[in-house]
Amino acid sequence: MAALVLVVLATGIFAVRTVRRAMFWRAHHDEVIRPWMSIPYVAHSYRVPPHVLYQALGITPQPHDRRPLNQIARGQNRSVDEVISVLNDAISRERAYHPPGAPPPEPGRSP
Amino acid sequence: MNITDQLLGALSQYGLPVLFAVIMIAAVGIPLPISMMLVAAGSFVELGEMKLWQVIVVASAGAVIGDQIGYGLGRWGGHRVVARIRRRGSGATKIAQAEAFAKRWGAAGIFLTRWLITPLGPWLNLTSGMAAYPWTRFFLWDVLGEVLWVVMYVMLGKFFSDRVQALVEILGNLAWVIVGLIAALILGWKLLRYLQPAEPLKGAKIVAER
Repeated sequence: MAALVLVVLATGIFAVRTVRRAMFWRAHHDEVIRPWMSIPYVAHSYRVPPHVLYQALGITPQPHDRRPLNQIARGQNRSVDEVISVLNDAISRERAYHPPGAPPPEPGRSP
Repeated sequence: MNITDQLLGALSQYGLPVLFAVIMIAAVGIPLPISMMLVAAGSFVELGEMKLWQVIVVASAGAVIGDQIGYGLGRWGGHRVVARIRRRGSGATKIAQAEAFAKRWGAAGIFLTRWLITPLGPWLNLTSGMAAYPWTRFFLWDVLGEVLWVVMYVMLGKFFSDRVQALVEILGNLAWVIVGLIAALILGWKLLRYLQPAEPLKGAKIVAER
């Protein structure tokens, strides 16, 4: 009986967490930028052109760039938090100029 | 950086060999963020950084090989440990129950713990080996279940490629909800049977009517 109560309680907690997370997902579209992400992934997730992010970090865009942000940070002698902060600022600026849903800007014309 | 960030960073940079190694080690029973790895691999497919068929083949191979190692450990490597447990008081009963479970739920248990009740997968590999469940049948159901699991998670990652972290959190919680529901159903059923009064024997009833 005690085992059944415990199992039902634990299942209920996980069910509530699942529903809450799903509701949060519907309301918030952006992922938190993490050190494992590559610049193309961040650009894809935030729906901004990759060259905007490369420009913000002062890096030349590379085809098939799979470097995670922590490696880029090491290469630039910065902390990964600093790199993430630069990317967040660049995304905010880009969205202010080109709100999501508007036609994508051409490379090189971004502020 | 936590282990998830490190493994995902390695997956992003080195691709398939990392995916294979992490999934194989996790299948043996070491807790690693494999759901996240598969979903992230799906998003890399969508980005054009990985090929879908390669991801499915390599991830499925890693999972199946890891499962065979777990089965082998239970069947051949675990004999000394099993013998020791058997010698102890309640140990023999527990081993007998585990073996009975593996034999009773054999095919269905193996198949479902590959893709639906994944937290139990490594445990069932060991008990299947301990119960000497026929290896060819274990292998067949293992391959079917693992391929289904890999395809499911990689395709989810491909379709929701811009929100893999949130997706994995939802899937992780959902897996435990399923495990909990199954456990609650089994416990509830046992409790009901325990609380029901035993039916009188038919013969006894006829004698009483006379």
